[in-house]
Amino acid sequence: MINEAELIEQLKQGDETAFRTIVEQWKDMVYNTILGIVQNETEAEDLAQDVFIKVFEKISTFKGDAKFSTWLYRIATTTALDHLRSKKRKKRFGFLQSLGGDGDEKESIPDFHHPGVSLDNKERAAVLFKAIGALPENQKTAYTLHKLEGLSYRDVSEVLNTSVSAVESLMSRANQNLRKQLEQYYNKHYK
Amino acid sequence: MTSKEKIQQEIGQTLQSLDGLKRAEANPFLFTRIKARMDRKANVWERTFSFISKPAIAVAIVVVVMAVNGWALWDGPGTGETISAETNGSELANEYNVVASVDNYDYDNLTNE
Repeated sequence: MINEAELIEQLKQGDETAFRTIVEQWKDMVYNTILGIVQNETEAEDLAQDVFIKVFEKISTFKGDAKFSTWLYRIATTTALDHLRSKKRKKRFGFLQSLGGDGDEKESIPDFHHPGVSLDNKERAAVLFKAIGALPENQKTAYTLHKLEGLSYRDVSEVLNTSVSAVESLMSRANQNLRKQLEQYYNKHYK
Repeated sequence: MTSKEKIQQEIGQTLQSLDGLKRAEANPFLFTRIKARMDRKANVWERTFSFISKPAIAVAIVVVVMAVNGWALWDGPGTGETISAETNGSELANEYNVVASVDNYDYDNLTNE
C-alpha cells in the first residue's frame, strides 16, 4: 500500500496511476464540500473535475508544509466560491440587460436536497440549506466544512488559514444569522 | 405551547437537521470524465502548435513580421531630404544662432552673420 507522500511524488512526475488513486481516494470529500457550497449536483460535479485538474496542474506548488487534505479543501472551497461569484455577476448582468422587466431581481431558487440527509429531515434540511446559501462567504465555508465534512475548528482554521478563535467567531455569527433567517421563515409560514 | 415557543422549537430542530448527514458520493466515473477533459484540452494545444509549426505557415508568419518591420523602418514615402554628414558646421551654427566663443556671446543682439 503506497503512502500519501510517495503518491504525491509520483503525481509530481505526472504519473497517471497516482492521479487516479488520488481522485478515487478524495473525490467524495471534494464533491461533498463543493455541493454544500454551490447546492447544485450538476455544477458540483463539473467543479469537482475542475478541482482535480487544478491539483494535477499545480501539484508542484504543494510543498508539504500543510496536510494534503488541507490543500485540497482549500482548492475545493475556493473553486466553489469563485463559481458562486461568477454566477452572481452573470445574474446581475442578465438583470441589467432585461431592464424592460418588472425590476424584480429575485428569482425563486429551487430547494436543494442533499442526498446524504435522512428522509425525515429532508424538508427541514432544505430550509436550512437555503439559509446557509445566504450566509457571507467565510461563514458559509466554515459552517459547511464543520457541519457537512465534520472538520474540527482546528482543521477548519487550517483550511481557512486563520486562527481557531476566528473560526469560533465565524461559527457563532453563522449560527446567529441562521437563527435570524429561520425565525423570519417560520414566522411567515406559521402565521 | 405558544406560537413563539413552537417557532423556537422548529428552529432548533431545523438547525439539527444536518446531524448524522452522510457524505454525498461523487460520480463513480469521475476519473474517466476528468481524463477525457484533460485529453481534449491537450488536443487543442497540440492542434494549435502543429498548425503554426507547419513550414508554410511558419514561413508566412515570418514574412509578415519582416514586412511589417520593413515598412516601419522605411517609414513610408518621406520628404526625400537627408541629413548629410558633410553639412557645414557654420551653416548649422548660423541657423541656431550658435556663437563659438563664449567671450563674444552677446545674448541681447543675436544675429545671423
